[in-house]
Amino acid sequence: MAALEQDTAGLEVGVGYAPAHHGELMQGMFTDDSGQLRRALVSLPQPDRGTRAVFYPSHSHWGVVAAPEFTKVRRAALLALRELSTHPASPKGGQVEIISDVPRGIGMGSSTSDVAATIRAVADYHGMPLSREEVGRLSVLAECASDSVMIDDRVVLFAHRDGIVLETFAPRLPSMIVIGCDTEPGAKVDTLALQPADYCDDEIGAFQVLRGALRRALATEDVQLVGRVATASARINERFLPKPNLEILLAECLRNGGCGIQVAHSGTVAGMIFDARRPGTQEGVQRSISFIEELGLVLTAMINTESATAGTGTAAVPMADARANA
Amino acid sequence: MSIRTSFEEATEAYQIPKLIRLGPNLFCACFTLMKMIPARFILRRALQDGRLEASTVIVETTSGTFGLALAMQAVHMDRRLILISDPVIDERLHRRLTDLGAVVERVPAAASAAVGGYQAARLERLAEVRAELPATFCPEQYSNPDNPRSYATVAEVLLECLGQVDCVVGPVGSGGSMCGTMTYLRSVLPECLAIGVDAQRSVLFGHPDGPRELRGMGMSLMPANLDHRVFDSVHWCSAREAYAATRQLHRLHALFMGPSSGAAYLVARWWAKANPSALTVVLLPDEGYRYQDTVYNDEWLRGKGYLDQPTPEEPIVVADPGAPQGSWAAYDWARRPLAEVLAASHASRGDLGPPTMPATSAAVPTSQ
Repeated sequence: MAALEQDTAGLEVGVGYAPAHHGELMQGMFTDDSGQLRRALVSLPQPDRGTRAVFYPSHSHWGVVAAPEFTKVRRAALLALRELSTHPASPKGGQVEIISDVPRGIGMGSSTSDVAATIRAVADYHGMPLSREEVGRLSVLAECASDSVMIDDRVVLFAHRDGIVLETFAPRLPSMIVIGCDTEPGAKVDTLALQPADYCDDEIGAFQVLRGALRRALATEDVQLVGRVATASARINERFLPKPNLEILLAECLRNGGCGIQVAHSGTVAGMIFDARRPGTQEGVQRSISFIEELGLVLTAMINTESATAGTGTAAVPMADARANA
Repeated sequence: MSIRTSFEEATEAYQIPKLIRLGPNLFCACFTLMKMIPARFILRRALQDGRLEASTVIVETTSGTFGLALAMQAVHMDRRLILISDPVIDERLHRRLTDLGAVVERVPAAASAAVGGYQAARLERLAEVRAELPATFCPEQYSNPDNPRSYATVAEVLLECLGQVDCVVGPVGSGGSMCGTMTYLRSVLPECLAIGVDAQRSVLFGHPDGPRELRGMGMSLMPANLDHRVFDSVHWCSAREAYAATRQLHRLHALFMGPSSGAAYLVARWWAKANPSALTVVLLPDEGYRYQDTVYNDEWLRGKGYLDQPTPEEPIVVADPGAPQGSWAAYDWARRPLAEVLAASHASRGDLGPPTMPATSAAVPTSQ
């Protein structure tokens, strides 16, 4: 914290954290309660990685300062400041520092985790924690489309361009292990430049069916069915942003006793899904990791939903024990 | 994690199937009026897309359950509906349709003697009606892709309630329910089997056209919405077998359904018993009220000679789908297109021409 502006000296700072994700279990187009179609997704959180944002307030200067590549972070901080401007101690502006270990441009939610952490940091400075839904709404305002990492107390179908929750499926994900890799090392997907998928009527019908299946899978902790839904969603997405080796990875996953494959619908990562409670899973996981390495692909995640800490909004230091389980 | 809420309108409630267990590995999806699913979906979409203005008249040639479903949805939408029917329309259904505000036109009885029978006369009259009106909308259940598409809702319910489904059995008419449900179900469960149940002397799966007593399934014309590649196997039932199974469904499970439901139940019960580790779902499309004087009347059944013979325990497995057996028969369709199946069975029979017509096919084609 060397770059403190003079007038922030002695003032308190705000800190916020938001985890990364590893793509989605499902993404498509779904109806809301009024029957209107909305784009929505179910994120797969990656609690090992995330962004910590620190907000240094300024009472003399308007505007927000951040490193030049963080346009969305500046916008997020301004939106949060405006949201909290009625607070008596609200500063004019400030500076945001981002510390993140989320890989950029491969669909692991680096941008949303920066934005959500920033909003939380500003709120933390004000001593007024925002609800998860408010952080979600502000994140979408700041970056047009956000995944749902900020809604970390349950599994939701999140309308990522509207910033609203369409459905809550369950309090948490079932016990599963996800082995992730980058299917196209070196390629970067610019989420903003990516055209929203133009789903056809049959695909929209399929999403309705996937939603019903996922509702059951999460309520009954059926990892097998989660895997089937994720695979179906990944396959529909092939028309819009194909993943090299998707079918090869899926076949290997199933051969090793896995349940299916999930992808970043606007990124390059994919993950093999395993039922953590099934006998033989550890061996299957090990064989899959070797397979990914033999293909020359880079491992991006080793998520164990059982060891993931249930989020508290301003999450603590992320746990690293998922990796230890390997 | 949601609470139960009310329905916005009657048709929304009517389209929801009830899933009921019939055996250790057998469930039924039981409908009050299954045709409500495509009728409601097609009309609501037309309204959304601006194809159903306030002055637009809905026209269709059905006089069966699809017509009833359209009439109900037309009430909610406050639209006029003209149904082109024929003289054999059920009187009670006719009264119900007109009470819902539908105009039911009947083509003359003489039309049955002409080429194409009632079906051709009805289509001709439909074209005339459409020409007379400034704006019409025809749902076209036999060719409109929104018909199969509407059954995503059934696949959704099956997956949410059961998760795993190994086999679905259902009667086939327009092709919409079985093809739509299976296509969507297979997006999650690609290996799920589909068994179609057809009537004797229905053209759907290769029988030569002929008179059919069994209602609610089977067709004299091939509907564009029937995708034969969906089906793993096909069964044909006689009216007698379907009626007996309909009554068993009522007596054993207290389910008061129509004979197409009975036919599907006959096949599903047999299949589920033969495959005890497979979870089977049978689609039961509508209720038995229209058949109280027939299927649910022992005197009528006896008069027809339907009580003389017991129903076979299992189907005759046939190698040629083009030859009606007159009783319960099964054929291994193996998800092939119709042309491929017919070519294979002709080759096995040693002839290359179309199947020879049985004497009955010269009789008057049935109208539904």
